[in-house]
Amino acid sequence: MMKRPISLADWLDARTGYRAGLRHLLDEPIPGDVNWWFTLGSVLVFLIVVQFVTGATLTMYYVPTPPYAYDSVRFITTGLAFGRVLRGLHFFGASFIVVFAVLHLLRVLFFGAYKTPREVTWMTGIVLLLLVLAFGLTGYLLPWDQRAYWATVVTINIARSTPLVGEWVANLMRGGPVIGALTLSRWYATHVILLPVALVIFVVTHVYLMRRHGIAGHFNPRPLPTSPFYPVHAVKDTIVIAAVFAALFTCAMVSKAPLEAMADPSGAAYIPRPEWYFLGLFQLLKYFPGKLEPIGAIGIPTLIIALLFLLPLFDPEPERDPRARPRVSAIVTLVVVAVSTLTWLGFRDTPKEQNLEAWEPRAIAGQDLVSSDKCTRCHAAGGAGPDLARGRINRDDQWILGHLADPDMIAPGLRPLPATGLSGTEARAVVAYVRKIREAAPPPRIAPDVRLVMDVFGAKCVACHTLDGDGGKEGPDLTHAARKPGHDAAWFVRWISDPAGVDPNAEMPAFAGKLSDVQLNAVAQYLARRH
Amino acid sequence: MREHAFDRRGWLRATIGVIATAIASVLGLVVGGAVVSPGLAGRREAWRPAGRLSDIAPGVPTPITIRVTRQDGYYEAVDQQVVFLVKSQSGGVRALSSTCTHLGCHVSYDADKKVIKCPCHGGTFSPDGRNIAGPPPRPLAELSARVEDGRVFVQL
Repeated sequence: MMKRPISLADWLDARTGYRAGLRHLLDEPIPGDVNWWFTLGSVLVFLIVVQFVTGATLTMYYVPTPPYAYDSVRFITTGLAFGRVLRGLHFFGASFIVVFAVLHLLRVLFFGAYKTPREVTWMTGIVLLLLVLAFGLTGYLLPWDQRAYWATVVTINIARSTPLVGEWVANLMRGGPVIGALTLSRWYATHVILLPVALVIFVVTHVYLMRRHGIAGHFNPRPLPTSPFYPVHAVKDTIVIAAVFAALFTCAMVSKAPLEAMADPSGAAYIPRPEWYFLGLFQLLKYFPGKLEPIGAIGIPTLIIALLFLLPLFDPEPERDPRARPRVSAIVTLVVVAVSTLTWLGFRDTPKEQNLEAWEPRAIAGQDLVSSDKCTRCHAAGGAGPDLARGRINRDDQWILGHLADPDMIAPGLRPLPATGLSGTEARAVVAYVRKIREAAPPPRIAPDVRLVMDVFGAKCVACHTLDGDGGKEGPDLTHAARKPGHDAAWFVRWISDPAGVDPNAEMPAFAGKLSDVQLNAVAQYLARRH
Repeated sequence: MREHAFDRRGWLRATIGVIATAIASVLGLVVGGAVVSPGLAGRREAWRPAGRLSDIAPGVPTPITIRVTRQDGYYEAVDQQVVFLVKSQSGGVRALSSTCTHLGCHVSYDADKKVIKCPCHGGTFSPDGRNIAGPPPRPLAELSARVEDGRVFVQL
């Protein structure tokens, strides 16, 4: 008689017992009064899975080194199918996790679910919240744009204000005396290896403890029959997860994850701002200036975390109804209101995002210099050097400046030897142009007469004068050059040609002979319009 | 009553299954697209300068190193590729790849024996690129070449 073949599932179950394991996982009896508020934990697990999946995909393309980090993020956003959505899911997913972690925490607080015997479950939850914030902090640096770099400068300076060990902690975070390649790689390693391992350990412990003690249920339990988790309660979880995923996906589709200009350690004019969930802390620091800063930066946050962590020990009574625990309910409400208010104030004070589309005079001048024969002899399609118009220059500013100063030294063997003959200011203009192209900012369409002015300004004046926030500080800011009485076009022509002729004490060099009449008149008329 | 309970549980299971499949599909599409798309991008070829025709002796495979810039994901890679230019008696020019058709080693021209040889497994090609001895299964690949104002351009 032939033996009946058994199914693959039966074969696997006979050897692993997976069905019994699944039943144990899914058939957990859930109290009948467990409502929709109890889906938040499952939503968090789902969001963590989304972060793992999208994060793992991002690591296939992301490169944690200063010369390539920014370009690799830009490539993810613009060079991959669904790359923008992928990065958006990961970026906005981080915010979603923070929101749902806080909602989950508040639900546990108000339902009194941290009380005996669930104290350790609560404490592992607080550790998980800190891990989530650490993910946000370490992930923030990775795009290596201005926002990432300067926010990290502030973060490390906050850590530096810790009494006694501050300097040591800052060095540990930086991996050296300055923020650079070692900082980026250690923050990356923390973000993709150390924190995920810690997160998995604590999530598993948290869920294990939740299963061990069962769901706390409502603080005023009703005598309703229990039902198995699957499918009765799992369907609630699934519906909420679907709604959350729809919201997250919409954010990723509609809104772009930010990517500003590439990190520029010399760009001290940049005003840093943290991710929204750190804005409250950022705002708090404004009220603790100078020597008091450690109180706002370290003292108050540490106190709040310690109070939260040890809450079950401070509030040991078995009563769970929030109305019967007025002290705890009042303190929690106060903290929530304080953090919300600080975050709102932080939002209000946040500087406007930099407009990447706007080109400063220096970059415009750089574009014209790069388009000149000096560069295009080699840098053109099929030429000895990369085509600069395509904008894939993966070199840092110092390399480009070195190359412009001595092309043969930095790219030996070039024949005929290029003689760039660029001044230092002009070389800086080329650097500004390359940075702009690297940001994929479309070149602006500007009138020829304004372009002529930008060329002169970006290649000569910008070394000492600022225009629209970009330029040197030695001379006066020319953004509103015509505001002073008498500063009309004729005055500017006289002044630029021979400053000492107008004012014997003038320090500005004369530009008569260095600029053509056309250039001089164009610049003078342009400045006369800057009211 | 039992049947009713079974129906309800069946519906709940189906709801969970449908939603989970929908989410997994959307996420899978985004992740799959990002993982697969770079592999589908074709290679861009361009005409690249390869020296002057007058510098090449007729009938002798002349190795020319061509600098090829290529977009490699987020950065522009620069490859040095060697091609053999072979000038015919009539003045035309052919460009041969220097990659052996056996296992991809780089071949070189042996001027004494007047053959192109592969150092890896002894594959031998005639000066015009035909496989004449050893394991190579095919002649050397021929690249498009043209001459313009005495300058040779090769498509790479």
